[in-house]
Amino acid sequence: MASIARSSALLKQVAAKQSVAATGLRVAAFHTTSRKSLLPPPPQRIEGTVNDPVHVPPTSPSHGSYHWTFDRVVAAGLIPLTVAPFAAGSLNPTMDAILAATILIHSHTGFGNIIVDYVPQKRVPTARKLFTWGLNAATVLVGLALYEFETTDVGLTETIKRVWKA
Amino acid sequence: MAALRSSSARVLAAASRPAFRPVVAARGMANLADGATHSNHASDGQSPKLKTFQIYRWNPDTPTEKPRMQSYTLDLNKTGPMVLDALVRIKNELDPTLTFRRSCREGICGSCAMNINGTNTLACLCRIPADNSAEMKIYPLPHTYVVKDLVPDLTLFYKQYKSIKPYLQRDTPSPDGKEYRQTKADRKKLDGLYECILCACCSTSCPSYWWNSEEYLGPAILLQSYRWLADSRDERHAQRKDALNNSMSLYRCHTILNCTRTCPKGLNPGLAIANIKKELAF
Repeated sequence: MASIARSSALLKQVAAKQSVAATGLRVAAFHTTSRKSLLPPPPQRIEGTVNDPVHVPPTSPSHGSYHWTFDRVVAAGLIPLTVAPFAAGSLNPTMDAILAATILIHSHTGFGNIIVDYVPQKRVPTARKLFTWGLNAATVLVGLALYEFETTDVGLTETIKRVWKA
Repeated sequence: MAALRSSSARVLAAASRPAFRPVVAARGMANLADGATHSNHASDGQSPKLKTFQIYRWNPDTPTEKPRMQSYTLDLNKTGPMVLDALVRIKNELDPTLTFRRSCREGICGSCAMNINGTNTLACLCRIPADNSAEMKIYPLPHTYVVKDLVPDLTLFYKQYKSIKPYLQRDTPSPDGKEYRQTKADRKKLDGLYECILCACCSTSCPSYWWNSEEYLGPAILLQSYRWLADSRDERHAQRKDALNNSMSLYRCHTILNCTRTCPKGLNPGLAIANIKKELAF
């Protein structure tokens, strides 16, 4: 901060040299906290020569355009499914089952997108596999729970209705 | 040569100009002669307007040394209005070791892209706010490998640009053997796309690109991708779409729109990406 006091009319080379010398004494002090290699940094270089284009991945619409469209259709479909039972005033077990299944699919693809974003296949392939299977297991578990809830208890819509009134 | 000519012209111009005109109007390239010329004016009673610039410094010659912020104070009365003018003046007069890229100083080349006060922009198009005395912080583009000081390594960015084949691909010769003609409506589709100067401001402001830059192409490259998808003369639309149709290249865009907010040329990469998604959707 000493530099603020310096007038701009003066040449600063001497002062600049001093500050370089001061910081030069602190060598190799990159980390003040302990290192945790949760997500290791990528190799600090760029793959291939400067004249090669990056690798173009193979076409797979099921992970690309179909997946994207499916996500949107499910998300848009949830709106009428959520509103309809309350607007109609009737509680139909079939509609309830469709709503529960759509929510399940919506959550599954949503969490899947988060995993694709934050657990990159290229950098942490093992963790990616772990997370994907963890998500699959969670989805199956929640699916079983919803099935149980729909068949032996009051069902999703009725629960929301009761919670809303309480 | 040009500098000599312009500074002599400026001295002549200064003589003919009324004395009360602000020195900013007489500005050219910042150099020592400039300062000397203006100090005559400054002695007319103008108080110095000091502004401090905090600039990211890192030297590859001493790689174990931690990157640091270095402060430089300039008198804005003797400096041009843009951040690039200040940087050039710092390099000329205060610290010749300061490293940054610059070329055209008018927002056409995209060399001087850097992070100024938290926003990615071109230093040559970014005014120094004269109304407050707050420090300006200047960093290289975020989430890039730094070559030195404010110079980022854009190798990956250019490699990604190369991968989308940014040139006209066509087999059919034009009917009259002359240039490939377009209707005015078709030409209009390229407006807002062809102006991109590939400064990488948008890509390096995109959180998705920060996390997945190895595989996600980023807004700048996708804007260029759409520039060729929207071109009526190109005949490889299907192949271009297939190259984007996977989980990483295009669909890591989550419409965050940092790209559109930061673009120093006022373009809309977010809209271009949405258009690609729509074209691919069904």
